[in-house]
Amino acid sequence: MIDEAFMPFARIIERLVSFRPEVVDEEAGVRSYIYACELHLPIELDVVRDESGALRIGSTPPLYDVDTSFRPTFHALRFTADVPHHDDAD
Amino acid sequence: MPTENTAWQLEELVDSLVVELDKTRETLAVKAINKPLTYTVKELALDLQIFPSYDGDQVRFVTAQPGQQGASKVTIQLGSITDQQVRATTKVPGAKHDINIDEIGIDKSTRKRLRKLGVNSVEDLKEIERKDIDLQKVSDSEIDYRALANQIQKSRRGQRPPKVEAVSLSRDSQDAPYLVVRGERLAVDPAFQPVAVVNQTLAEVMSSSDRELRIQLTPEHRFGRQNELILTFDPFAVIRMNVKA
Repeated sequence: MIDEAFMPFARIIERLVSFRPEVVDEEAGVRSYIYACELHLPIELDVVRDESGALRIGSTPPLYDVDTSFRPTFHALRFTADVPHHDDAD
Repeated sequence: MPTENTAWQLEELVDSLVVELDKTRETLAVKAINKPLTYTVKELALDLQIFPSYDGDQVRFVTAQPGQQGASKVTIQLGSITDQQVRATTKVPGAKHDINIDEIGIDKSTRKRLRKLGVNSVEDLKEIERKDIDLQKVSDSEIDYRALANQIQKSRRGQRPPKVEAVSLSRDSQDAPYLVVRGERLAVDPAFQPVAVVNQTLAEVMSSSDRELRIQLTPEHRFGRQNELILTFDPFAVIRMNVKA
């Protein structure tokens, strides 16, 4: 079982790319689109085995911005969130 | 704080990552049906703080946990790969009659050594044979190719055992009796002459093929109403049967 403070890796990626691709300023009448966004963030990992012996990767971004004596180990995640075929949308 | 991290092999972690990313892709694909401007994930990389260990056989890693220092860093980069690249770099898995080396009765160390050489199936071994590579030499004499070839033959024979459909008594032009054994996959090894024993006496095999065997009978065979026939088609296929006249 993955620790309850952690999410399956698929879900964290999915949430990280679930931001609005549009930047709209209705007063100025401007609308912009974000076609690609590079994310680079520290994450914590919880790697466990399930009942079938398969590895399950739990992950979470840093939860607390508090300096403690017990520092979590941060791994780093990098990827590009990209809208495919954005040239077609131009 | 997470629970104790599990030791893993690189292959396992990459497999799990790929499964997770496939799930993400599926979810995002569904989302893209109604929201055309949905993001996809490209060029994902993960820098892991890990503690490696080697038990003399396998390298395993444990991800560093809170408070642990002195970890090593491993970067896993999952790039996109086209279907053409997959075809160019991947062998078609499991041809119909291919035998995995797990199915051959070979000892664990030989199997492990073969895997290290990239040999996972009998078809891989045949490919090495075709290229005239001395397996014994490249494995520092750890692999006895002759013993391996025998095991492969045994496994193959186990998959395609001989099947006797009928045994009949016939006579040649000189009125000499002979037995005709018909069936499937009988004498399949051209390098081995089948051996027949009738009533505990060796008999001459006049002709043999994968469909039929002819066995010469002489008075020494005391062929009567109840007879015992033992046929050795090759070193891995022996049949014993009772033949009633």
